[in-house]
Amino acid sequence: MAMSRLEEELIHMLVKHKQQSEPTYMPSPSSQRNVVYNESVVSLDNESAKEASSKTSCSDECGQYIVDLVPEHVIPDIKSIAKVMFASDYGQEFCEAFIGVRKEALEQHFDILENGKLSIEDVLKMEWCSLSTEMNKWTWSMKIIFGVYLMSEKRLCDQVLGEFGSVNSFCFLEIAKTTILCLLNFGEAIAMGPQEPEKLLRLLDMYETLADLVIDIDALFSEDGGSFVRLEFHKLLEGLADSVKAAFNAFGVAVSSNGSLYPFPGGGVHPLSKYVMNYISMFPEYCRTLNLLLEDQHSDVANLVSEPQCGPTASLSTSCPMACHLRSITSSLESNLHKKSKLYKDEALQHIFLMNNLHYMVQKVKGSELRPFFGDEWIRKHNAKFQQHEMNYERVTWSSVVLLLKDDNPGSSSLSKSAFKEKCKGFSVAFEEVYKNQTSWCIPDPQLREDLRISTSLKVVHAYRTFLGRNPAHVDDKCIKHTVEDVEKLLLDLFEGSPRSLRNSRRMMKT
Amino acid sequence: MDTQEQELEDIELFQKHVSDRFTELSSPPEDDALLSVSWLHRLLDVFLCCEAEFEAILIMDRDPSQLSKPPFDRLIPEFIERAVKALDICNAVANGVDSVRHCQKLSEIVISALDQNPLGDGHAKRAKKALLMLLSAMNLDDKEGTHVKATERSWSFGRRGVNKEQIAGHFRSLSWQVAKNWSSAKQIQSMIYNLVAPRGAEASGLPSPIYTMNVIMIFVMWALVAAIPCQERNGLPTHFPVPKQLNWAHSLIGLQEKIADEWKKKEKKGMSGLLDELQKMEKLAQSLIDFTDSFHFPGDAEKVKEAAANVSELKEIFGRMDQGLTPLQMHIREVFHRIVRSRTEFLDVLEKGSAPVL
Repeated sequence: MAMSRLEEELIHMLVKHKQQSEPTYMPSPSSQRNVVYNESVVSLDNESAKEASSKTSCSDECGQYIVDLVPEHVIPDIKSIAKVMFASDYGQEFCEAFIGVRKEALEQHFDILENGKLSIEDVLKMEWCSLSTEMNKWTWSMKIIFGVYLMSEKRLCDQVLGEFGSVNSFCFLEIAKTTILCLLNFGEAIAMGPQEPEKLLRLLDMYETLADLVIDIDALFSEDGGSFVRLEFHKLLEGLADSVKAAFNAFGVAVSSNGSLYPFPGGGVHPLSKYVMNYISMFPEYCRTLNLLLEDQHSDVANLVSEPQCGPTASLSTSCPMACHLRSITSSLESNLHKKSKLYKDEALQHIFLMNNLHYMVQKVKGSELRPFFGDEWIRKHNAKFQQHEMNYERVTWSSVVLLLKDDNPGSSSLSKSAFKEKCKGFSVAFEEVYKNQTSWCIPDPQLREDLRISTSLKVVHAYRTFLGRNPAHVDDKCIKHTVEDVEKLLLDLFEGSPRSLRNSRRMMKT
Repeated sequence: MDTQEQELEDIELFQKHVSDRFTELSSPPEDDALLSVSWLHRLLDVFLCCEAEFEAILIMDRDPSQLSKPPFDRLIPEFIERAVKALDICNAVANGVDSVRHCQKLSEIVISALDQNPLGDGHAKRAKKALLMLLSAMNLDDKEGTHVKATERSWSFGRRGVNKEQIAGHFRSLSWQVAKNWSSAKQIQSMIYNLVAPRGAEASGLPSPIYTMNVIMIFVMWALVAAIPCQERNGLPTHFPVPKQLNWAHSLIGLQEKIADEWKKKEKKGMSGLLDELQKMEKLAQSLIDFTDSFHFPGDAEKVKEAAANVSELKEIFGRMDQGLTPLQMHIREVFHRIVRSRTEFLDVLEKGSAPVL
């Protein structure tokens, strides 16, 4: 029968030429990843291990690429077969064959993208690392499938079936259905899931990708038959928007509720500070989306933020919704850090801790894309804060020590021997006490450490030198345990993070 | 009337409604045979109504903390888990409807071919090919369809004759999988697992409608899977552990037994869905293929007449499918979205209920 022969030829042509024209544009998602870390906030206390995980930087350059799914020269032949078959009322057979081959081709492309076929149950139960990978794959696949393959497929359908009316869009829909439903399903499963803080960036990627593609989806499925596709993806977009908001809120809650049972040893930069600052430093990339989604929550937050950015230094970026939320988060972090500092019995260490952490926060803001959102005003204020803690530390630690060296009787000449001895001893004991305690404390930032040493040194060494200088007669006495140089050297041991006792260092100095 | 009395009244009313609705489903009018497309629509409507009432009873005007205490701290999460399983079934069935639409398309070819006067040899041959495709599409084991590799497929309706491997390849619609190794039968089984009717004091309180809704959900999903071919239905359970003494359950159990009987009969022959239209289509296809096989122009007048009658019946079925299948898919999506929403509501309630009072 002539028709069957035609059919055979059609299919043969489609299959043969399908294989020959794999599009050359196939960049892999892995070429675009920056390694950033992600971790869960839950078990942060006293933990140091962080897992690095990759993030796709969602390249905006993936626009539409229309490729020739079937070589140009074959199309007229296919068209003529179509004409004949439709004219002889064999249109249905043509469609069946055409849909069959094209659908398979599309699914092969989809398989290459390696989207795991996952049930909703699977997705809801998946652990974070795997889920993160799947979300990346989804984001990538959406761009490729809609931006490249479906665009091209639509063009092919238009070329072949353009003159046969609604058959065209019917065939296109049938070809595309399975693949897009698979993508839709995963998206829906994600939107249903619990929205933990660590999901935020992946969710933003997914949302942004879909938001960009939704116009294309509307265009591709503009006819009645495709209305449910448009509807479902619009619904999904809303669902993802809600998910982003939920994850963002969860992040805020996690920051403020992160509790500690024990004080953080050494008083250095707390893992919570690191987590929060590093995490939020990735938000500016999603500024446009976050501003859009967080807008309705803006008004509540703006009131909570303790440093309103009005005045001459205020700009659009510091007053946008995302900026307000960011400051609210760091404000939460500060409160939390204050709570944590109260766990230290030693008041001086409380100040060191707060100084370290606030300084870290400022450095992070200054050295990243966060700067325009926090603004100079915020930086100034927080600089002042940690400097205040610096001064408090000095006061708490050294004032009493220095007081011991004070001249009770200004104007009189040097002290009696016993008075001198007493003062010397008092100073040594106090100094050694501080030494013993504070060598195990930590100031991670070298600049800050140096600053504190210098300022301490100025105070203490100066006072000691003055004291000894006022009593030259007793200088050779054995009661002087430490020389001025000793004191200077010993001060350098402070804040190194490794506890020392003076016996060790004396032994070291003698050799 | 105090709240507890009101609650008992609400529960009773709910269960009466359930009973009524399923009784209605049990005695369908002519056009609405059991497991036909329109019957399935009604089944889904029943589900949506029951679900709405159920949610109202459980959530409206209720202090969330009540639902976080035993036994609800176990019952509600269990319900939510079953709901998630139901979602995957909704997807599998909605996609299974695609394979039924494929059959519908094939039958359209048959109708085009045979709806001719006078009928020629060419027409008969064309019809025969389409009929062969149709029959194997309907009897294809759900498993086979999903595992056929692309290289084995050939898309020709062609003269070379149609053998099973080639036909298997044509069953394109089953290429959608919920997940690897996912089985709708196993899914139903796991939904039934641990389903225990409340006893004693619990039987007259809130646990009772929760149990009822669980049963309804499982039944609806089960019926859908039985009717529509979808991924891996081998081993579909045919027995539900619903105690017969429950008043509201009588009609439901009756329906379940009827459908289960049909299933057992069909299980031996092949795996086409129990969908009424599909069953009828199969019978018509069988007799038509005999006809086309033996047809030579101008053909036996008696037989031609018979065939024409079959074709017009086929046309009717086609019409019902054409009208009802796509809406069925939409209806299933509606159920899907409702279950998603309901799950979210329940999760919210649980969260609120367990939040510490500050």
